[in-house]
Amino acid sequence: MEIRIDNLTKKFGEVVGVEDLTLHIDDGEFVAFLGPSGCGKTTTLLTLAGIYKPTEGLIRFGERIVNQVQPKDRNIGMVFQSYALYPHMTVFQNIAYPLKLKKTPKNLQNESVRQVAGVMGIGDLLDRRPGQLSGGQQQRVALGRALVKEPDVLLFDEPLSNLDARLRLTMRGEIKHLQKNLGITSIYVTHDQVEAMTMADRIAVMSGGRLQAFDTPEELYDRPKTQFVAGFVGNPPMNFIDVNVSQSDGAYTAKTGSIRMTVPAARGAPAAEHAGAVVMGLRPEDIAIASEGEVAGEIFVVEPLGREDLIDVRVGEHSFILLANTESRHRAGERVALQFDMSQVQFFDPQSERSLLWRQ
Amino acid sequence: MARAELFASSKVKTDEIQPTLQEDFVEALKLAGISIVVLLVAAFFFSAVVGPFFALGSVEETVTDVLTRLALLILPYVAYISAASVARRYTFRATSRALGLAFSCAILIYALISAGHYLLDYGVFAPRPSLQMTLSQTDAGIRIDEVAPGGAAETAGMLPGDVITAIRRDPVDLAAFNKRLGQSELDAPLRLRFLRDGEEMQETARVVLVSDKELGVLLPGLAIVLVFTAIIVFLPGHWAPYIALVGLLFPLLIGYFWVIVATFSYRTKGLVPLDGNDNFGGFTLKNWESIFAGNIAGLEFNIWPILMTSMAIAVLMTFVVLLVSSMAGYALSRMDFPGRRFFLSFTLILHGFPAITLLIPIFIVLLRMGETPIIGDLIGFNTVGGIAMVMVAFQLPLGVWLMKGFFDNIPWDMERSALIDGASRFRAYWEILLPQIRPGLLALGIFAFIGGWNAYIIPATYSIGTGLSNLPVFLNELIDETAPVDWNQVAAVGLFQLIPIFIFFIFAQEYLLNIYAGGTKGSS
Ligand SMILES: Nc1ncnc2c1ncn2[C@@H]1O[C@H](COP(=O)(O)OP(=O)(O)O)[C@@H](O)[C@H]1O
Ligand SMILES: [Mg+2]
Repeated sequence: MEIRIDNLTKKFGEVVGVEDLTLHIDDGEFVAFLGPSGCGKTTTLLTLAGIYKPTEGLIRFGERIVNQVQPKDRNIGMVFQSYALYPHMTVFQNIAYPLKLKKTPKNLQNESVRQVAGVMGIGDLLDRRPGQLSGGQQQRVALGRALVKEPDVLLFDEPLSNLDARLRLTMRGEIKHLQKNLGITSIYVTHDQVEAMTMADRIAVMSGGRLQAFDTPEELYDRPKTQFVAGFVGNPPMNFIDVNVSQSDGAYTAKTGSIRMTVPAARGAPAAEHAGAVVMGLRPEDIAIASEGEVAGEIFVVEPLGREDLIDVRVGEHSFILLANTESRHRAGERVALQFDMSQVQFFDPQSERSLLWRQ
Repeated sequence: MARAELFASSKVKTDEIQPTLQEDFVEALKLAGISIVVLLVAAFFFSAVVGPFFALGSVEETVTDVLTRLALLILPYVAYISAASVARRYTFRATSRALGLAFSCAILIYALISAGHYLLDYGVFAPRPSLQMTLSQTDAGIRIDEVAPGGAAETAGMLPGDVITAIRRDPVDLAAFNKRLGQSELDAPLRLRFLRDGEEMQETARVVLVSDKELGVLLPGLAIVLVFTAIIVFLPGHWAPYIALVGLLFPLLIGYFWVIVATFSYRTKGLVPLDGNDNFGGFTLKNWESIFAGNIAGLEFNIWPILMTSMAIAVLMTFVVLLVSSMAGYALSRMDFPGRRFFLSFTLILHGFPAITLLIPIFIVLLRMGETPIIGDLIGFNTVGGIAMVMVAFQLPLGVWLMKGFFDNIPWDMERSALIDGASRFRAYWEILLPQIRPGLLALGIFAFIGGWNAYIIPATYSIGTGLSNLPVFLNELIDETAPVDWNQVAAVGLFQLIPIFIFFIFAQEYLLNIYAGGTKGSS
C-alpha cells in the first residue's frame, strides 16, 4: 500500500506535534522515522493509524483519503513500545483478537494464529498470559498480533527499546527479514540511528516536529543536506568547527586560528563562495592520529569502546572526536598530530544550517 | 575474594564478641528502662500537657485520661517484653540461659515497679474502700474476726464476733459484701444488719479509703509475670501478628458471638443464655420462627416483600452505580470536553455534601416526579425505583471518581492497540478496559450493594405511610412499636439481614482472593 502524506500538521491545542510534513512512501517500502525524543514521531504514527485526527493536511492510503477513517477501518497493524498486550487474555486470545473483531470463522482464526505463532517462534506459549512472558516473548506476541490480520500497513513505535542489547540485535534482523518476505509497507519509529540505518530503505529524519530529510541511509550519511542530519546520523557524531574557506592559486584552504587545512576544489569552491565563516563538518573516521600532520593537539580524554578507542583531541579551543585502534595505546595528555581526509568534508551555512554542497 | 573476607570477618565477630551473661543482663535492663521512661513520659505528656490544653478550650474529654491510664497499664508488660526480647536470642540455643536471663530481669523489674507502687500508693497498693475489719464466712452470716482500733468499723460500734447478715434489707454473703464495699465511695454510709449475741441490730458504717500495703498481694502478680515472661521467651516470632490481631478483634468477635447466641435463646446475661430459673439453658428457635410467621409481639408483617424490597434496592443500586460510574469515569479519564474540570471538582464537592441536608428538597422532587405520568410509577415518591435512584445519586460522585482513577492507570497504548486491532470505541471499553479494572468494579459493587442493603434514612424518608419498607426500616419499626423490646428478637432480625451478605461473600470469596493474589498480574 502506497502512503502519501501531504502538508500534515497535528497540534494539541498550542503544542505542535508535527508540522507541515510531506512524505510519499512507496508500496512495500520500509521507512524509518528517526529523531530525538519529542520530535513528533509518535504523533505522526498515531495520526497515520487514525488515533489522532490531522489538524491540517491529507493522508492517502493508495488512492483513498483516510483523514476521517476510523482506525478499525484502516487495516493496519501496530507494535507499541510498551507492547500493549491485553493482560487478561492468553497469548492465543491476544493474537486472535484482531481476527475475532473481523468476525473470521473460528477454525480459520485458529489456523492463522498457530501459523503466525509458528513464524514468531512462540507456538508453545499460546496458553500463557502476557504477565508470564519475558520481554522478548511479549515483543513477539505483539508482532504476531500486528501481523495476523495481514495488514496493508505495519507501524512500529520504538518496538525494541525495552529489550536488552543482544535481543535487540536479533529482533532487528527478524523484523527486517519478515518485512521483506511479506512485502508489507512499514513505518518504523526509532530514536536509535543505528536501527534506522540498518533496517530502513529510506529514513525520514525529524526534529522539532519538522521533516529534516527523507532519503536512503547512504545519501543521508554521505550527502547530508542539513547540519542537523549530519550531526544526528553517524556514531560518534560528526565534528563541527567554524572556519573560513579561501582560495588562492586554485587551492582552497579552511582556516581557523592556527589550524589550516587544504580542501579539494570540488568541495572547497561552494564554501569559498559563501561570504564569511562557514561550519565545517568532519566525521570521526576521517580524522587520524599521526606522527606527522597538518595540525598538532593534545589528547584530552580516551574512552575505550572495546574494539576502538574514542579519543577527544583538543587543538586550541577546538575539540575533535576521532576513533583509533586500541593497540596504539594513546593516553590523555599525550601530544599528537592530526591528519584529515578532506575528501569527505561537509560545509554548512551557519545561519540556515543548510549544506553548501548539496542543495535540496 | 572480598566477599569471602567479609564473611570470614563477620564470623569472627560473632565468635569473639559473644556477650557475657552480665552484658546481656545490662542490655535487657537498659531496654526495659528505656521503655519505662518512654511510657512514663507519654503518660506525663497526656495528663500534664495535652489534658490542660484541652481543658483550656473547656472541652469535656476523657481521651487524655484514658491514654494516660493506658500508658501506665501497659508499662510493666512493655518492660517485661523488652527484657525478654534480649533473652529470645538464646531461646533455642541455650534455653536455660534464656529463661534465667528473662526471669531474673523480670523479677528485678517487678520488684522495682512494686516498690514504686508501694511508695506512690498506686497499683496493688492503691487505697481501697474499706471498713477496717477482717471477716470470714460462716453459716449464720459474715463473722467479724477483728476490728482495727480507731478504724471505721470500730467508730461505727461494731465488735468482733458480730455476724453481718444484710446491708440495708439486702441479705449478703462475704462475696456480695466485698463487691458492694468495693463499689462504694469514700464516706459512703453502709447500714449493716447484724446479729450480736443472737439479737438483731443495725449500725451505719462510713467507708474509708485504706491501702493496707500487705506484701503478700505481690505473690500472685509475680507468678503472672513469670508465666508471661516465659510465654514471651518461647513465643514463635511469626505468631505475634496473629496474637495482636486477635487481641484487637476480640471485642468485635464478642459482639458477633452475642448476636448469634441471643437469637437462639429466650434471654441472656452477658454471653450466657439463661432459662427461667437463671440457669444455663433456655435455647429456642422462636426468635427465628416468628420472623417467618410474620408476628412479633403483636406486630404483624410479611417478611418476604420486605426482603424483596431490600434486595431490589441493593441490586438496582449496584447495577446502576457500576454502569454509570464506569462510563462516566471512562469519559472523564479519556475524553476532553468543555466543562470536564468543573465537573470533576463539582462531583467532589457533591460527595462531601451531607445527605441529610438534602432530604427535604429531594422529597419535593420525588413528589413532583411521582405526579409525572408513566415514569412517576417507576421512580417517584413511595417507589423502590425512586428510593434506589436517590441512593444511586448519593453514591455516584464517589463511584465516578474511583472509576476515573482506575481508568487513569490503564496505559493509553492498550486502548489504542485495541482500536487499531479493529475494535470500536465501545468494544475497546467493554472488552479491553473493563477487564483491567475488575478489582475496582468489584470493590465499588460491594460498596454499592452493602450500602443499598443497609440503607435506612432514605428508604425510611421516602416511603412514609406505605407498607413499603426494607429490612433496616422494618428493624426500626420493630424497636419502635413493640414494648417492651425483645432484644433477642431484634438480634434475630439483624442476623437475618446479614444472611444474604454472608452468602454473597461465600460465593465471591474465591473470586476476591483470586484478584488480590495476582489475578491482574501482568497489567503493567
Ligand atoms: N496527546 C498529547 N497532548 C499534548 N501534547 C502531546 C500529545 N502527544 C504528544 N504531544 C507533544 O507533541 C510533541 C511530539 O511528541 P511525540 O510525537 O510523542 O514525540 P516522539 O514520539 O518523537 O518522542 C511533544 O512535544 C509532546 O509533548
Ligand atoms: Mg514516541
